[in-house]
Amino acid sequence: MVEIQDWNFGGRPRLMVWLRQRIESFEATHPGIKVVQSDKSWNMIREILYTSFSTGTGPDVVNTHANYAAEFGEAGYYYPVNKFPDFDSVKQWFVPELLESTRYKDNYYGLPSSAIAFILVCNRQLFDAAHIAPPRTWSEFRSAARSLTRDTDGDGHIDQFGLVLMGGDKGGFAYRMVPFFYKAGADFMSDDLTRVEFNSPAGVAALTLFAEMYQIDRSITPGFLAYGHSETNDLFCGNRAAMAIEGPWVRGMVNEMSPGKDVFVVSIPVPDSLLDQYETLPTLQDMVMYSVNAHSRNLEASWEFVKYLRNEEADMAWIREDLGAVATTNFAFNSPEAQNVKDLPLYINELRHARPLPTHPRIIALASNTFTPFCQKAIVGELTPKAALDQAAREAQEVIENTK
Amino acid sequence: MKKATPYLLLLPALLFTAFVLGYPLVQNLVNSVRDVSLVSGVGGWVGLSNYANVLDDPLFLSSLRNTLIYALVGTILALVIGLGFALLLNMKIGRITTIASFLYTIPWVISPVVAGFSWKWLLNDHFGIINYWLSSAELIDAGTSWLGDPQTVLACVIFARVWQFYPFAMVMFLAGLQAIPLEQYEAAAVDGATMFRRFFHITIPNLKPVFSVLLVLGVIWSFNDFNIVFVMTRGGPMNASMVLPVLVREFSFVFFDLGKGSALSVMTFMLLVTLSFLYLRIISGRESA
Amino acid sequence: MKRYALAALIIVLSLLVLLPFLWIFSTSLKPLSEVNQYPPEWFSPNMSLKPYADMFFFMPFGIYALNSTIVASSATIITLFVGSLGAFAFSRFQFAGKRVFLLVFLLSQMLPGASVIIPLFQLLKEIGLYDTHVGLILVHSAVLLPFVIWLLYGFFQGIPREVEDAALIDGCSRLSALRRVILPLALPGIGATALFAFLGSWNEFFFALILTSSDATKTIPVGIGLFVGEYNDLWNQMAASAVLFSLPPLMLFALMRKTFVKGLAAGAVK
Repeated sequence: MVEIQDWNFGGRPRLMVWLRQRIESFEATHPGIKVVQSDKSWNMIREILYTSFSTGTGPDVVNTHANYAAEFGEAGYYYPVNKFPDFDSVKQWFVPELLESTRYKDNYYGLPSSAIAFILVCNRQLFDAAHIAPPRTWSEFRSAARSLTRDTDGDGHIDQFGLVLMGGDKGGFAYRMVPFFYKAGADFMSDDLTRVEFNSPAGVAALTLFAEMYQIDRSITPGFLAYGHSETNDLFCGNRAAMAIEGPWVRGMVNEMSPGKDVFVVSIPVPDSLLDQYETLPTLQDMVMYSVNAHSRNLEASWEFVKYLRNEEADMAWIREDLGAVATTNFAFNSPEAQNVKDLPLYINELRHARPLPTHPRIIALASNTFTPFCQKAIVGELTPKAALDQAAREAQEVIENTK
Repeated sequence: MKKATPYLLLLPALLFTAFVLGYPLVQNLVNSVRDVSLVSGVGGWVGLSNYANVLDDPLFLSSLRNTLIYALVGTILALVIGLGFALLLNMKIGRITTIASFLYTIPWVISPVVAGFSWKWLLNDHFGIINYWLSSAELIDAGTSWLGDPQTVLACVIFARVWQFYPFAMVMFLAGLQAIPLEQYEAAAVDGATMFRRFFHITIPNLKPVFSVLLVLGVIWSFNDFNIVFVMTRGGPMNASMVLPVLVREFSFVFFDLGKGSALSVMTFMLLVTLSFLYLRIISGRESA
Repeated sequence: MKRYALAALIIVLSLLVLLPFLWIFSTSLKPLSEVNQYPPEWFSPNMSLKPYADMFFFMPFGIYALNSTIVASSATIITLFVGSLGAFAFSRFQFAGKRVFLLVFLLSQMLPGASVIIPLFQLLKEIGLYDTHVGLILVHSAVLLPFVIWLLYGFFQGIPREVEDAALIDGCSRLSALRRVILPLALPGIGATALFAFLGSWNEFFFALILTSSDATKTIPVGIGLFVGEYNDLWNQMAASAVLFSLPPLMLFALMRKTFVKGLAAGAVK
């Protein structure tokens, strides 16, 4: 009897229910393997992972963001699943662009679990009342935000804002800036991962958009520096914000908070000059993957479990149930059911063109601790966008050079 | 055998301390002079470069400043408020005092994590009840952001900290007040001293030892207090409320640079030791004078 | 007149001081869609006890409560025992290095948790105590010990020597004097210290998070952390668990309040 440990970070109750059922049916179809499942706090994921893996403990199977492929792959914590004999056939299951996100150097460090593409969500009630359509270009975006920033109760204070930003969560904030950078044609890093490129003119233009919306139009919620996803959700569902930058979880989340509330889910707006490429410009992609602990004593059993969690039957759950993210297999992407789920065709199209953050071992630290603070300083006006991005680039370059 | 008795009595406690102070301190010292990071594993000797990295880090000085303010202002405020509450409760006006003395200790009984989250929500700019009250009373504009404004965020976390810590001071002061021999007050009354004079010449001097101890403990605990700041602001916005324990966590668990995290830990430790030393020197100097 | 003014002041202050706790309590009864409204309301249309039931999905609250109780009680007992021995040594003996030892106990509180956790984790892992009650109890005890020793030291100082000397004359050994004479007199102080220690362990979050892994060992603070998620937070259920979690220490405090203050007055604060 083989026992494997599975740690699950985060997840909405529906997902956790699904996971538990899936484990039951796995154990029923694989009599020699027992799965001990443990839910862990997503907030403290790095503390928990580092202390466990650095001492050679840690679970056999764990779900983390694909960004961890670089860090944990480099450190030898995740097992390169391409070494399993049946990997060549397993990899056919997955949409190639998504599978690439789990690759670092020449190895794949996990199987894609679910994907996210960042989009713009618009509060239908507020848009309809103002007779505005969801924006496609930066000009439309800025003007929509301006029109939807108003004093609704006539007391002389603005209490409804065009855009809410999530400034209190450093990682989350970076994820909301980068889609605009990408759509503008700016890269975060060079392909060979040696130079940062977010301070290119296109990047400066993207940041300037937000800086001007905040400082000149005043259409961004003033307290955004303290907002996490709870505050953002509450403002949006409370009709105090008309737009937000979110992902596949948004419709379900809005339904939970305000049942019956309708939203527009649209692509991230593009610079005016690039409107002809609206359908194909990349947004930011983020992905969760299932990985196997390189020090696991039950590699084979762990791999069987991971495959069972990721096969086509499992993947269809992401289509059929509202689990907050998008499926990752070809089967699911091409299934007729996918066409009928609200917004899913949009997400699938975005995912075919989307790009993840660069697979550098330090990317999480770079995005949260270097990119985010400087972007925020530019938005509130402490620095000009160009100065902010240049300084951030200098600091980031140092971090990259210090990475051995 | 007899001479050894005190040492034997202390032995179990010392073993525990070696376990939770000695071993980690040694590990931190060792790690701080090596290149230890997640990606490179435990590397070789790098001398003092981790310490240099910490000193060069743009966040070091501001975090140090914030931590000193958080610890000193937070502790002194908590002591003043604690003393005030203790004096109030000491007036003993019956049942109300009994019930109140229980209710006033509740902030301290609540877990710091829960306290942090609830203050975060109470101070929310749109949905928090504090803004609602203040703007209804026309004292501030509706939607004023407290935690999102780099100018006010440190005050907010200090406020939450004071709320959490004052009951401890209050209880210690209460006990201290009740320990003051009544004869002192009676003698003063006979001499015709006013309430003011009694307060400053009897109450305060008697409470000095309590005050000293509370100050040292309060500052030490605040210096290492992670939960409140982490839960309320994570050190933001834009690192305006970054304090040293949260910075240690950033180095160790966000950048996974354990060498740098250990160096900062050792520096924090040395700073606290120095401050405590100086303070104890000063008060023992005063006592012998 | 002055009495009523004072009473009014006391009541107003009570409400201000309790504001967060009242807010948590109110939140724990609301459905998620009504938790944050504008204008903020103490009462919402669909309040119920449902969050208290729902929270069990994320946490096997009963098991976690049992773990918290086991860990906090054991840590309290251990620290009281070991601490009494040490405090007795400081209080009743003169010996070389006494000041150094006192200082060492003070110093042991000066390392931040984030720097202690990895060495401790590695150590516990080596000796096989990771993810066990015993491991967490030992860590909590070690963390609480310096403060407990200091408090007990104060109490013992407050007990006059003559009492003990009388016992010694009657033929007791030092240790049995400790047991038969000093401890009973110090009982209120010990009660107060026990309360501090229990609270310290009960509320402790960080070490419990890292040093436990399975449901059989996790404590309630660890469970509370699960309500804060990646895309949404279940504030109402978190509030419900926070309310339940605060009840045992509050009850202990209420029961022991009188002994508590009396105990402190008896000697700690000299």
